[in-house]
Amino acid sequence: MSAYMVDKFIRAVELGDATVVEYVADPPAFVERWLAGGGTPDGPTDDRVLTEAERAAFAARDFGALYALGAHPYLLWHFTEAVYEHEYTEGFGWRELVERYRAAVAPQGLVDYIP
Amino acid sequence: MAELVLAAVTPHNPLLWRAMTDPVPDDLRPIAANFARIREAVASHEVDVLVVIGTDHLRQFFYDNSPAFAIGKADAYHGTWENEVRTFGMEYAEVVGHRELADRIAGRSVQPDAIDFSVSLEWRLDHAFVIPLQYVRPELDIPVVPIHANASMPPVPSVRRFVALGEHLRRSIDDWDADARVGILTSGHMANDVGGPRTFAGSPDPEFDALAAGWMRDGDLDGAIRVCSDVDRLTAAGSMTSQFLNAVAALAAMGGRAADFVDVPESRFSTSPFFLWSTR
Repeated sequence: MSAYMVDKFIRAVELGDATVVEYVADPPAFVERWLAGGGTPDGPTDDRVLTEAERAAFAARDFGALYALGAHPYLLWHFTEAVYEHEYTEGFGWRELVERYRAAVAPQGLVDYIP
Repeated sequence: MAELVLAAVTPHNPLLWRAMTDPVPDDLRPIAANFARIREAVASHEVDVLVVIGTDHLRQFFYDNSPAFAIGKADAYHGTWENEVRTFGMEYAEVVGHRELADRIAGRSVQPDAIDFSVSLEWRLDHAFVIPLQYVRPELDIPVVPIHANASMPPVPSVRRFVALGEHLRRSIDDWDADARVGILTSGHMANDVGGPRTFAGSPDPEFDALAAGWMRDGDLDGAIRVCSDVDRLTAAGSMTSQFLNAVAALAAMGGRAADFVDVPESRFSTSPFFLWSTR
């Protein structure tokens, strides 16, 4: 179930422009707000649970840790690109982001990300 | 009677949308030329309706409800998503559906033998559908039947289900009592590792790419089934390589015959698949 929640959180951020901006402005606060939302007993199912390790990884935008936690690689890369957009466009550049991402995930090899 | 007049496989790499603009960079020229070839084929074959097989990338479909194969039965579709406009610079698109053929394929009149379809009447198509359509039919004026094949959320269906998909499409079209010229447009990948350890480092598995191009060049459906049945082999070739299975569906739809055109150019991106079966 945990990898599912990691992917669900990533989508909650990455699918929309406004949510990317809100998350990047204050990742820990966004995590807490997201966890406080969700379904009601009589509404559609919308469970939201993150472990301590997952909360910490999202609070720190730590893509290497999220890869280890079973994030879907496709989602994780595009999440990374979205939430570091400010840094790479105005700072170290897109190619450097790719290099940092690969350096973080490559030593881990293939991680089973089936939720 | 209806006729399956053409099948094509193209990449749907959304990074092309920004990179492959005039003046087209040298390494992308073969890709632009191949898209032009297929665009001309769709026009010269006078295609009336396009069955578009693609794989949604966890936009419309997610692990909360993930169909193996889903057919669009909507009258119209919105194209691309906010995050794809942001990330890839794509443009929103509106595409017309083809309810009669969708109904037919989904089992209203042709019961599938070896595959069961989900249906969707409300679907925002992602780049796997929009990018190929925008390159091979920029007018977006041919009605489509989109089919999502889950090759993005493992475990994915076996290669034999993709073969069954192609064979079912062939039968559904051949038996259709309509004056319609049908094309199949399939998009997918060769070896591709988005977000994995070999992301953005060219092809993660040139050996797989060579094998895969050979199956299309030689009409070797058995070879494709043999290798792609090995899930570990597909996984080892990259996180998104299973989207090559969409091309196997096209090969099966064309009776396993060799493609009339095969080109798999290398570029700054992973290898780009272009396969075309034509009748003119």
